[in-house]
Amino acid sequence: MNAPLGSAVDTRAAIRASGLGKRYGQLTAVDGLDIEISPGEFFGLLGPNGSGKTTTLHMLATLIRPSAGSATVAGFDVVREPVSVRAAIGLVFQESALDRMLSVAENLRFAGLLHDLPLRVIAQRQRELLELFGLEDKRDQPVATLSGGMRRALDIARGVLHQPRILFLDEPTIGLDLPNRRRIWRFIEHLRARTGMTVLLTTHYLEEAHGCDRVAFIRKGRLVESGAPRAWVERLGRHMLEVEGPDLDGLAAALEAKLGAGLREGDVAYFRCRDEDVGAIARLQAEIGSRASAWRVRRPNLNDVFLWVTDGKDLG
Amino acid sequence: MRLRPRFRPVYAVLERELLRMFRQRTRLVAAMVRPLIWLLVIGGGFSALLGVEYQSFLVPGVLGMTMLFGAMLAALTTVYDKESGVMRMLVIAPMPHAWIVIAKVASAAAAAMLQALLLLALLAVLGYAGSGTRWGLLAAALAATSLACAAIGMLTAAFSRSLDNFAGIMNFVIFPVFFLSGSLYPVRDLPPALGWIATANPYTYGVDLLKHALLPHAASADFAVGLDFAVLALATAAAVAVASWRFSRESAYEPMIHVLAGRAK
Repeated sequence: MNAPLGSAVDTRAAIRASGLGKRYGQLTAVDGLDIEISPGEFFGLLGPNGSGKTTTLHMLATLIRPSAGSATVAGFDVVREPVSVRAAIGLVFQESALDRMLSVAENLRFAGLLHDLPLRVIAQRQRELLELFGLEDKRDQPVATLSGGMRRALDIARGVLHQPRILFLDEPTIGLDLPNRRRIWRFIEHLRARTGMTVLLTTHYLEEAHGCDRVAFIRKGRLVESGAPRAWVERLGRHMLEVEGPDLDGLAAALEAKLGAGLREGDVAYFRCRDEDVGAIARLQAEIGSRASAWRVRRPNLNDVFLWVTDGKDLG
Repeated sequence: MRLRPRFRPVYAVLERELLRMFRQRTRLVAAMVRPLIWLLVIGGGFSALLGVEYQSFLVPGVLGMTMLFGAMLAALTTVYDKESGVMRMLVIAPMPHAWIVIAKVASAAAAAMLQALLLLALLAVLGYAGSGTRWGLLAAALAATSLACAAIGMLTAAFSRSLDNFAGIMNFVIFPVFFLSGSLYPVRDLPPALGWIATANPYTYGVDLLKHALLPHAASADFAVGLDFAVLALATAAAVAVASWRFSRESAYEPMIHVLAGRAK
């Protein structure tokens, strides 16, 4: 790595973008993004569909040329040194990158050879990854016969076969059912624990970004907010109280007097409790719980934060 | 940027091409049957009708046809790769994108040569090839012709966005290239306008080389061997250069993103 003198910060960052932007004619897909991600960090880029997450990822992966700003990945410039950038990263695309006609093992072999890995190394990592991802017995099956969850797992195995320092995951669990989403997340956690690689994730499932060290919200190509999800969630409160009831208005008003303003979503009202001690909630339940048909206390999550913030409420 | 040639990626693309070729049996069978139908039905028919040795004149033409179809169809799988997503594996690999073009052209040419060798064996068994063949020249002719066909196929693929164009490509690229060459008639006997087109068609020179190699005594070739090789080499280099330029300009990938984005909405 050739870093100019005095740019120690630049080379320490796994990913650094400044003023990164992309226009397609009239359409501004990404608008002046500044991001800095440290090595080993698990960073989530969140936002609704069409907000510019994928375009950002593809610019960082050298597949799209930025029309404004600059970015370095693993210390290499994405425009001037695309091959070096691609050698350092793994990318799992939103849609499959596999050849359905080839078998599981043949797909990994193809990907490994494309990354210039010796056959011996490919064979060894193939074994390890298929075991880790629970695909050993599918080794010689054509990809076309795999379920969606298995195909996604194989796609991720494909993305990490060359042991990249930085892994880009573009909506890795999109279109999967809950058990498969959980499985995919276990794999990613295993990989992170084993390799310590930097992970840049895009998703619009907020609950999945909860494990991120840091998340950033992106809307219409602009970065809205960024921070550590745990800190955000902690700022929201220690517990969330969800209630339902025949007279929800009256119940909500009574709770609002004790807990502050809440959120209403259909037949459910949400309130935040800043006290770690559930005793206060238990006393509240003894007092007015009889008016509720359902009374649930749970930990808050990133979804609550997102709803809270988008409702215009202060995290306080 | 490290530009040292990488052979494993090229081998990867080649291995996949051959695996696919042998798995798609119908494609392989068609590549053998198509030229034999031409040779036996059309060649046999015209020989009987005209009383000339048309069938043996047609042997280089049908051998060339196998390479033309084999190489072009293999190169055109690049379009399928763009649509199916396999191109994602190729564009994210740590090599210059021009290298994808080179790997694809080399693989398509290898697949086409293999098909040509299979057909040649069939032709020899049937007694249409073998005697008087200049083998060294034939090997060089097979290599040069399949490379040129693969390069032209890759050039077509680089500018095609979807498989919907496939029928169009067959009708407006592959068939004209075949019919407007010296495959079916000697170029010197064609009417002037068709003769000029055939002279401008690089594939004509591939067929001409095959005539030199397979029918050295029949004097059915139109051009000199040196000219044939020069034209084929030039056509290959030009097509590879333009296709590489097209691929390196991110356009190989970016239209796909728009297609995907459009589909998502």
